[in-house]
Amino acid sequence: MENNTKKHEGDLHETQHISSYKQHFSTLVALLLLTVVTVAISVFGANLRTLSVATALLIATVKVIVVAYYFMHLKYDHKLYTWLIMIVGLLFVVFTALTSIEYFNR
Amino acid sequence: MATLSTDLNYLQAKKGLFSWIFSVDHKRIGLLYLYSLMTFFLVGVTLGILMRLELLNPGKDLVEAKTYNQIFTLHGVIMIFLFIIPSIPAVFGNFFLPIMLGTDDVSFPRLNLLSWWIYIIGAIMALSTLLFGDGPADTGWTFYAPYSVKTGTNVTMSVLAAFVLGFSSILTGLNFIVTIHRLKTPGMTFLKMPLFAWALYATSWIQLLATPIIGITLMMIVAERFFGVGLFDPSIGGDPILYQHLFWIYSHPAVYIMALPAFGIISELLPTFSQRTIFGYKAIAFSSLAIAFVGYFIWGHHMFTSGMSGTGRFIFSILTFLVAIPTAIKVFNWVATLYKGSINVQTPLLYALAFIFQFMIGGFTGLVLGALATDIHLHDTYFVVGHFHYVMFGGTGFAFFGALHYWFPKMWGKMYNATVANIAFVILFIGFNTLYFPMLIAGLMGMPRRYYDYLPEFHLPNMISTFGSWILATGLLLMLGNLIYAYFNSKTKPGRNPWGGITLEWQTQSPPPVQNFDRMPVLPKDGPYDFEHKPTIKE
Repeated sequence: MENNTKKHEGDLHETQHISSYKQHFSTLVALLLLTVVTVAISVFGANLRTLSVATALLIATVKVIVVAYYFMHLKYDHKLYTWLIMIVGLLFVVFTALTSIEYFNR
Repeated sequence: MATLSTDLNYLQAKKGLFSWIFSVDHKRIGLLYLYSLMTFFLVGVTLGILMRLELLNPGKDLVEAKTYNQIFTLHGVIMIFLFIIPSIPAVFGNFFLPIMLGTDDVSFPRLNLLSWWIYIIGAIMALSTLLFGDGPADTGWTFYAPYSVKTGTNVTMSVLAAFVLGFSSILTGLNFIVTIHRLKTPGMTFLKMPLFAWALYATSWIQLLATPIIGITLMMIVAERFFGVGLFDPSIGGDPILYQHLFWIYSHPAVYIMALPAFGIISELLPTFSQRTIFGYKAIAFSSLAIAFVGYFIWGHHMFTSGMSGTGRFIFSILTFLVAIPTAIKVFNWVATLYKGSINVQTPLLYALAFIFQFMIGGFTGLVLGALATDIHLHDTYFVVGHFHYVMFGGTGFAFFGALHYWFPKMWGKMYNATVANIAFVILFIGFNTLYFPMLIAGLMGMPRRYYDYLPEFHLPNMISTFGSWILATGLLLMLGNLIYAYFNSKTKPGRNPWGGITLEWQTQSPPPVQNFDRMPVLPKDGPYDFEHKPTIKE
């Protein structure tokens, strides 16, 4: 069942949204599959060395996006919240980039 | 507008201990923070004076080396996490932000009370390290790995305390951001908001975005201590420089959590005591955001001698110099505000002027430390100790005291003895500079920090510094004694607006009623410092 109801005109929380069981279940399956992939890479792809860390981080990032988008209802929220999360993500990327530049030039 | 009940002010509305410790009134919560902060501040001062006594002469004077290490660690933890970080936002932000915005409370009053309780729990955890095991941590407030992973002192409890205190900081920041966005009185836009609110807004974003990083970093220390996971300890595959990166990614922006609210206070004091519009309102407002933004990317300057790469040092040094630009913008605008103003020399203004003088010394010595070549010579010397005390105490500490004298009549509806307050200020100013300036000299001479002993050639600056600590303590006691005496005994009623201020808190009663305003506040025509169209305030 999907239900979008207008609550407060001009308010940031414009709509109330109830996700379907199907959507919850699909998200859960996606997360479980991604976890299986992470474990498989760590076991069978150990010779990838640094690349295995990068791959694990990439999969974790995809999982974060799935959780935020569906479980935490970012998809149905005001776009401002998506922007805020993207800014925080960008900040994280800058922190990591500066630290990595320092590390790889030692 | 509905009639507001103003028979009782917020101090009289309810009686009893529970009416305070479970109050959701932002003004009462502000005072709860004030009383608890000042208690911990005095503990921190006592530890500082003990350190100075030990350093009066070379060799052992008072305590063993390990005890000295524990004293300076606890001094740092208390002063940073229990006093300076929460100080201005938690006390004056809580009390005055809603009033300055013309509203009746913060957005989440219960969350506000929870923040204070979390703060108290964190404080008890920090102080409990005195009571069990091998005593408080002896690592310094930075908890540098790998030593913090190996020492037998109570590091775990100390970092857990800092972790818990972080939640208080995050929740307060969140509360202020939502309050500023949602609860400004009709007609008050962002560019008509007082500069103290702007400063709190920039600070709150740092609290919200940077504090989680220190939380997870401190948890990594605990994981390393209990499970030996090899994050920071090189003997089990860790990287100690990674700890320094993670620690300073938070702790450098935290310097601006401490400094930005102080800038906001100065931006309130100068227009009031110059009776003129602040020079460069937009420049001051946006420079707060610029400082908060640039402040995220300059943490590496704390690590120039850690063994980090030359490329890293070069990048962080350049970025560090960038932050001087918005800071200098503020200072020039403050000085320009004083120019041709109708200057009214009162105690709060003296603190503001001392702030500018001392913060400039702190800022300039910061540039010396931000330059790679000079930092190699000065890193881990007393020059750094002098530098950050000039910024933190000479800056934020003096702004805090200035704010206390500025808003005292509004908070309690009583006036202190101005002559005694001015004498206390002079003693405090002399004591502060006698205590900390010799540290800059000792540092230039090469005296390393964090030792309980030193070579005989450093005796003179250390002796002067210890004398300064006694003068400073005298000034502090006189200042606090004067305020406490006024609180209990003063018969002088200051009225609504003793300083001729123009922001909204001066339009309400002193002390304010529970709902903050007994009549609808009137916004000045052209922004918050429009002294030419000052609203008439009747008693």
